[in-house]
Amino acid sequence: MRLIRVVISSLVVAILLSASFALAQDVQPIKIGVAVAQTSNVALFGQEQVIGAKIAEAYFNEKGGVNGRPIQLVFQDTAGDEAGAINAFQTLIADTVVGIVGPTLSQQAFAADPMAEQAGVPVLAPSNTAKGIPEVGNFIARVSAPVAVVAPNAVRAALNLDPNIKDVVVFYAQNDAFASSETTTFQSTVTNLGLNLASVQTFQTTDTDFSAQITNAIALNPQLVIVSGLAADGGNLIRQLREFGYTGVIVGGNGLNTANVFPVCQQFCDGIIIAQAYSPAAESEINQTFRELYKAEQGKEPPQFSAQAFSAVQVFVEALIRLDNITKLDTLDLATQRNLLNLSVLAGGYETPLGMLSFTPTGEIVQEQFYVAQIKMNADGQTGTFEYIQ
Amino acid sequence: MNLALFFQQVVNGLAIGSVYAIFALGYTLIFSILGIINFAHSAIFTLGAYFTYALMGARFGFNGLLAQTALPFGLPFPLAVLGGGLLAGGMGVLVERIAFRPLRNRGADPLLMLVSSLGVAVALVNIIQYLVGAEAYSYPNALAGLPPSINLGVGGVPLIMRTVLVVIFIISMLILFALMRLMNHTKAGKALQAVAEDPVTASLLGINTDRLILLTFFISGFLGGIAGTLVGLSVTITGPYFGITFGLRGLAVLVLGGLGSIPGAVVGGLAIGIVEALVPPDLSGYKDAVAFAILLIVLFFRPQGLLGRTFIQKV
Repeated sequence: MRLIRVVISSLVVAILLSASFALAQDVQPIKIGVAVAQTSNVALFGQEQVIGAKIAEAYFNEKGGVNGRPIQLVFQDTAGDEAGAINAFQTLIADTVVGIVGPTLSQQAFAADPMAEQAGVPVLAPSNTAKGIPEVGNFIARVSAPVAVVAPNAVRAALNLDPNIKDVVVFYAQNDAFASSETTTFQSTVTNLGLNLASVQTFQTTDTDFSAQITNAIALNPQLVIVSGLAADGGNLIRQLREFGYTGVIVGGNGLNTANVFPVCQQFCDGIIIAQAYSPAAESEINQTFRELYKAEQGKEPPQFSAQAFSAVQVFVEALIRLDNITKLDTLDLATQRNLLNLSVLAGGYETPLGMLSFTPTGEIVQEQFYVAQIKMNADGQTGTFEYIQ
Repeated sequence: MNLALFFQQVVNGLAIGSVYAIFALGYTLIFSILGIINFAHSAIFTLGAYFTYALMGARFGFNGLLAQTALPFGLPFPLAVLGGGLLAGGMGVLVERIAFRPLRNRGADPLLMLVSSLGVAVALVNIIQYLVGAEAYSYPNALAGLPPSINLGVGGVPLIMRTVLVVIFIISMLILFALMRLMNHTKAGKALQAVAEDPVTASLLGINTDRLILLTFFISGFLGGIAGTLVGLSVTITGPYFGITFGLRGLAVLVLGGLGSIPGAVVGGLAIGIVEALVPPDLSGYKDAVAFAILLIVLFFRPQGLLGRTFIQKV
């Protein structure tokens, strides 16, 4: 009796296991890692990226995922430093993701990307704009246009607004790879446009008081100040610049390109010019769909960081579909999936909210449309918008 | 650095140092009573800033469980600061109940209480993130009507100060004065000093040590909360983690001034504030290094800190 019971229960277990295995085979999701800053000050950017990525996950799964197989975004928090990014990458790589979207900062990317390169995992950077990111390795690509391409547009827009600009002071955060890269572009743009680079002032992303640098800068009477930093430090710097009486034009780099800068510089954010790699008004169908989905959820226009995260997920999904059409993914082992996905990503063209995107063989983004926006604060000094000026 | 810039930085340093002093006083009070460092202090600092924001009736952002919520009323900034401090004081009492009392009742090693407070700190900061996200918040129209900067200069030499720093310095000095009055001229304050001196004798003399410990945690939390609000006023609440760097500096001030010494915390805070402000701007990454280097040098010559007591061992 006991033996029969054992046999029957083993059979039942075996049947259930094989059934669930069969079921699992059918709906086994494809895992894509998202390693962005969900905590720390860098979360001011990472939060927007998480929102964009989640909208993409829901949208593409609703459209059928990868030929019927849904994608599953696996989030790992990188926090704000290199060690966090490395940990997040390592965890995702071990968790059998086919690719990684991230990390948030270029500073983190230079530390964590080599890990993915060595493991043969394709990385799509949604917001790394420093020089040299795609060159880190064959598996590293980015959907965020480099500073060298984007930043000069803001300076030209500033000149359009005030043709009398002659003397410029540049501030940058010397402990951040992105800011250090962006400032070389800004400084050479200033010189190339025939303006006088009166001074270069440095600070740290961890600084909260900038009175010494500002006093030095204001003494030189500049008509234009350019700031390369992150949201908290850059915002505080601009607030203090205005509090100390600077009335000229301010150009902000990509690190200030977030609505999270509004509570920091408050009414003093008004008028900051920031170059954009994205415009909510761009008329492509995918962008208007993304814009409506974002507005339905968040009640405001989508920011660049969200659009870039959405586009990164989109590129992976479309590359996976293309790959799956040639060779069924579930016939490939993980290492081959990752390798072929990388090749598929680089080979394709993608109609994304950022516009038509493709990649150079090194993984650098090829993007056509850029914009410039100016911050317009509301009367409450807490909320505002990015108004596109060109 | 020219003279005008030097004076400007000294005055800046005094303002920032006054906030360090208040913050470190929170550590000092608990250390003087219990002989342990309360690592949850930096989390209460952060909470104080968020409480003040909520009490002003301001709305939270788009992320977290409390997204887009606001209190149905809004207090003017001075009242909100006070309210934020009081609520932070309440949180201090809660921390005492959760992290310290159970261990103290079991006669646990002080190191365990330290670790427990660290755990509470991490939990609190993450709870804040879970509730209101990592967005930046600033106090709406806190200093409405005041000019953005004030010229404190004399005789034609300008000494431009951000108004917010002047306000912070004034508030800090008022709080310190009130604390001095409390400690030296009230029964509760004298009882606190007695417990700090010798808790056993104090309880033998009829002082309710448990209640005084609660009072200490309340005052410490109040001070931490006020410090958090003042920093949030100056540089915005940049996220739930903005208290962490302050936690480290507060410890440096605590040791520099002398463990358990209240005047020491004030002197230490102002000293570190001024030293940091005088670091040249292009070396601002070394501010922490300079502050801790000064601390090391002082401890080398005076291990008890600037105003701490030397303990003479009786043979």
